Amino acid sequence: MKHIVYMSRAVRPMTDPDLQELLDQSRHDNVRQGITGILFYSHGNIAQLFEGPAEQVDPLFDRICRDGRHSHVRKLVDAPIEARSFPSWSMAFHPLEPSGFAALEGFLLPHQLPPLPSSLTIADALLVQLVQLAVFGPDPTQPFQHRHADPPGALDA
Amino acid sequence: MPAPHFEQLLRRLQAGVATLEGPELRYGFVNEQMQALVGTNAEGRTLAEQPGLLPAALLEVLPKVFAAGTPYAARACACGSAADSPNVRHFDLVVDPYDGEAGQPAGLLLLAVDVSEQEAARQRAHELALTTRQLDARLRVLTETAPLFTYTMSPQGEVTYVSPQWYRFTGQPDTADLTAIWPLLVHPDDRLRVLFESETARRTGTGWNYEYRLRRYDGQYRWMLSRALPEVHPPDQPVAWHGALTEVHLQRELSEARRRGEAELRFLADSIPELVWTTSAEGLVEYYNHYTKSYSGLTTEELGPTGWVGLLYPEEQAAAARRWVQSVASGEDFEGEYRLRRADGVYRWHTIRARRLNDGSGPRWFGAASDVEEQHRLRQVLQTQYDELARAHHNLDTFVYAASHDLRQPTHNLRGLFEELRRSVRFTDPEQALMLRMVDTALTHLDSTLADLTATVQTQRQQQEPVEILDLALGLEEILLGLRPQIVHQGASVQIDVQEAPGLLYSRANFRSVVHNLVSNALKFAHPLRPPQVLLRNYLTDDGQPVLEVRDNGLGMRIDDPHNPAFRLFARQHTQVEGTGVGLYLVQRIVTSQGGHIEVDSTPGIGTTFRVFWAAPLGMRE
Ligand SMILES: Cc1cc2nc3c(=O)[nH]c(=O)nc-3n(C[C@H](O)[C@H](O)[C@H](O)COP(=O)(O)O)c2cc1C
Repeated sequence: MKHIVYMSRAVRPMTDPDLQELLDQSRHDNVRQGITGILFYSHGNIAQLFEGPAEQVDPLFDRICRDGRHSHVRKLVDAPIEARSFPSWSMAFHPLEPSGFAALEGFLLPHQLPPLPSSLTIADALLVQLVQLAVFGPDPTQPFQHRHADPPGALDA
Repeated sequence: MPAPHFEQLLRRLQAGVATLEGPELRYGFVNEQMQALVGTNAEGRTLAEQPGLLPAALLEVLPKVFAAGTPYAARACACGSAADSPNVRHFDLVVDPYDGEAGQPAGLLLLAVDVSEQEAARQRAHELALTTRQLDARLRVLTETAPLFTYTMSPQGEVTYVSPQWYRFTGQPDTADLTAIWPLLVHPDDRLRVLFESETARRTGTGWNYEYRLRRYDGQYRWMLSRALPEVHPPDQPVAWHGALTEVHLQRELSEARRRGEAELRFLADSIPELVWTTSAEGLVEYYNHYTKSYSGLTTEELGPTGWVGLLYPEEQAAAARRWVQSVASGEDFEGEYRLRRADGVYRWHTIRARRLNDGSGPRWFGAASDVEEQHRLRQVLQTQYDELARAHHNLDTFVYAASHDLRQPTHNLRGLFEELRRSVRFTDPEQALMLRMVDTALTHLDSTLADLTATVQTQRQQQEPVEILDLALGLEEILLGLRPQIVHQGASVQIDVQEAPGLLYSRANFRSVVHNLVSNALKFAHPLRPPQVLLRNYLTDDGQPVLEVRDNGLGMRIDDPHNPAFRLFARQHTQVEGTGVGLYLVQRIVTSQGGHIEVDSTPGIGTTFRVFWAAPLGMRE
């Protein structure tokens, strides 16, 4: 078992359908390949942690690196782990149109992220928190770029 | 006339054929194609009657051709209504005179080949050439005015073109032998590299991209970026390399400076025996200095972007991680004392500091951890010593207290025995009477010294007494009750005024000691000619500080130093008035230990006023 953490930049801002497609596709593939983890997206900033058997994780990272939807992929950690820390595959982002996402499996609002499990070392947990901070900014309850586009409270609906 | 089967052929021919017979040029044979030009009903009519779509110029020429008997040809003649209309067609026209049987001119054979397609193509080619010429001109303007120089190099390395900017920049004349001169203008340190790279690229048929210093007209070398791509027409070898040169001097100097700065920083960081690291704006470590690696015994990869936290004492990691996330989110400095694990497993205390700085390429965090193990140990030793001292001090207090307390009983006994002795034994010698008085005084003195000692130790303890909100009216009444015998005896009147500040946050025992001492002093130093009057007033200063004023109409005293009256007072009192030193000393100690102070006003023969400022002024409190 191993995990990889990276950060990257979307080539152009991803729309809700873009993200939904990515979520659906990854969910489907990850279940089959025994990959779990989490992806953060906000305003073009991407960070992802994924874990699984090395023989699945490494090729997936190669595919992700080649994916034309993002660039500047910066690998932060690539290390063996004792056990999984994420029970499934999920994504966290601020959708522009939240109603469609509420029912979607594997989708989370950034401030609804569950606390990090203690199976992560403190160094790894710190890393996840820092990339989360880098993607969502200091206040994950607020999407820091599309704030004006959303009527207040729309995210809670 | 052509034979019938020929006629069939001629009619179908993909060219117009007609005969014009006789000097009047009357249409004889007209095939299908020609009918399109002159009409279906032309046969038998004269040219003048039926010109059809034939161009006017031809109509004029035809009679002359007939007369002269020489052939005539015209290329791409526009035939149609208006020469520029879209349905105009173009024909190559050939006119051949033919003779009759007698050799006399008999008529003209007219041949028209439709060349509209070719003509249109030619037109297009012409237009294209025009636009190309325009584009070329525009390209020329662009290449010759843009801030980059363009050039072309042959596969053999000959420079066949450079744009005029190059001449302006280098100051070379138009006549310069480019191929020979350009390598000489490249900085000697860059020359071989550049020649090698360009040659390699030409040999392998690839482009190039390199930087070098080029000599400017004023002799200064400026950094240039040179990029070129081969012009290829597969399957042939490239025919030329076209490239551009851009001046990148400033960028290059800047990044050079930054690189140098970075290198210097690293050199410094690598030479100091402290743990140093830098992180990206996101708080992810990008660089650990050598010392960090040798201290921890880990590589940069093993440490990773957040690995430093793993070096901390396990119980302290989570808090340090939280603190770091908070610093990164807010930009606040990170600072704390932590134990860091050395490669051999020993933890040593460090002060860790990190600060966000902007070095021109965006914010970065700079962190350092200094070993404070020695200071830490020293502090621990000091703390232990301090604790021991405090304990010894306490023990001493207890001993003094116990001893003074225990000694009072024998003193009492001694005094009792002494009284008894005086009563039962007759002393006749006046010397003896004096000695008796002296023994009496000494005993009294011993007793009061013991009492004072006990009280001193007690106050020392009381400094740690709990504080509470005291009801001053009640508290003062209680104290006065204790002094009642003296008050009654001296006919004193004591007034209490605590309306302005009825409460006080203080230890009850300390409050008692202070007030008791001051009031009994006021009674003790009463004026012999008038009964004592004492006013006790608790009030607040302008800045809210509570003060107790104890004013009497007693003997009063002289105060030499108005700036530091309290201190002077005690010093003098100690020497002048026996038995009172300890009392005021106690008051002073109690009040200052609580952060307050005492002021005194006194006029000899009129009276004395003590003011007890219970606590430190608001601004100075911790
Ligand atoms: C930000 C990002 C995250 C991705 N995460 C995953 C993932 O977790 N699992 C996955 O199978 N594909 C993921 N993909 C998609 C892969 O890059 C790739 O498109 C997919 O594996 C299909 O690869 P293929 O088209 O080469 O078969 C991600 C793509 C992007 C841009």
